[in-house]
Amino acid sequence: MISFSKSLKFSVIALLGVTLYAGAVPAPQRIDVKQMSKKVENVVVPLPNEIFGALNKLGSVNWREFVRTEKSSNFTERPRIALLLGTVIADGFIAVQAEDAPAVKEIGQRVLSLSKGIGVGNSITPHAKAITEAADKRKWENVRQELDRTQSSVQAAMNEVHDEKLSQLVSLGGWLRGTQVLTSVVTKHFSADGAELLHQPDLLVHFQTQLQAMPEFNLPIIRDIQGALGEVRPLVDVGTSRISPESVRKINEITNRLDSGIVTRD
Amino acid sequence: MNGFTKIGLRVSLCLVVSFALPSGAAGTVDDAQSFALQAAEPYVKEGFQVREDYWGGDLGSGEKKAVRQQLFKGNEYWFWMGTEVERAKISVHIYDSEGKLAEQPDSWEKGHFAAAHVIPKATGSYFIIVAVEESPEERTHWALVYGFR
Repeated sequence: MISFSKSLKFSVIALLGVTLYAGAVPAPQRIDVKQMSKKVENVVVPLPNEIFGALNKLGSVNWREFVRTEKSSNFTERPRIALLLGTVIADGFIAVQAEDAPAVKEIGQRVLSLSKGIGVGNSITPHAKAITEAADKRKWENVRQELDRTQSSVQAAMNEVHDEKLSQLVSLGGWLRGTQVLTSVVTKHFSADGAELLHQPDLLVHFQTQLQAMPEFNLPIIRDIQGALGEVRPLVDVGTSRISPESVRKINEITNRLDSGIVTRD
Repeated sequence: MNGFTKIGLRVSLCLVVSFALPSGAAGTVDDAQSFALQAAEPYVKEGFQVREDYWGGDLGSGEKKAVRQQLFKGNEYWFWMGTEVERAKISVHIYDSEGKLAEQPDSWEKGHFAAAHVIPKATGSYFIIVAVEESPEERTHWALVYGFR
């Protein structure tokens, strides 16, 4: 027989459960993804530090090797500035992984200058200041948060003036630089788990679709990226199979080539 | 001002909003986002980095929407959903690319807040299904934010 106190305890637990899940409908164990695929919203592009965090858990990475602070070329074409801006923000995340305060501060200033070049400097000034302050105090989580806010503010400012396509190029630039570093690390120390981080076929489709809708940006670098995404997609769209060391090396070559095209003048 | 203080300020703002909005008042997706961030706030203390980007919109009672998100094996994710309609009941669930429920059992829903927890078994695309189960409003704003560690 259950004692009164035990019974009371069970009742309280049951009541708490009912309160928390009041009216909750159990989720179906399976859904029809083919039906869902037609109704899905746009993907949110992962930040480079989301990938770097997963990469870090596989083993220590010498992030200092990938820190880059040298100033790239100055561009006047807004799509080129947008791509470069995304790349430089990704460099900021790399500098944070390396805990390199001077590099973080330089990159913060570079982000500000590129944002001004594209006409959204005002929304970035407070973030650039916050990045410098947090780097001085070596508060790396705060720097990461500010870099995310910087990218978000840049894109919000662009969207406000209907420059959504430039905003998409910022995300693409960041993704390309993140993929370049990911493939460099995995090429040097191959692991199946590291290679699996490249399994992003839907993101490839997402970027390809966006680029196809930018015929007005008739620049060699945009055409190069479009072609390159077509080369990368079959290498990562492997279903349940593993991504091979050869594929990782190939993607690294492709992203090295694109990075060079993004940061240097034609 | 650090990130945590800013999130704290946002939470304070949400509380002000929740008192300021009369029941049935027309809110916005931004209000819904404030509530989603309110649901996320305790997890920031546990080391989750909450992304600035978010999804939002409005749904009728009983309507669902799917968003697709790339998740990476090795990371742990929470998705938090909120609405400013206090008498609404909402839900969020996560499925893998095959359509199999992928969330952890500690995922929860409580009135106008809901959250789903996933530790991906594989890197790839996942479906996040958001729903307004019940609402006194014809259309209910919703917002979904996510964090990872």
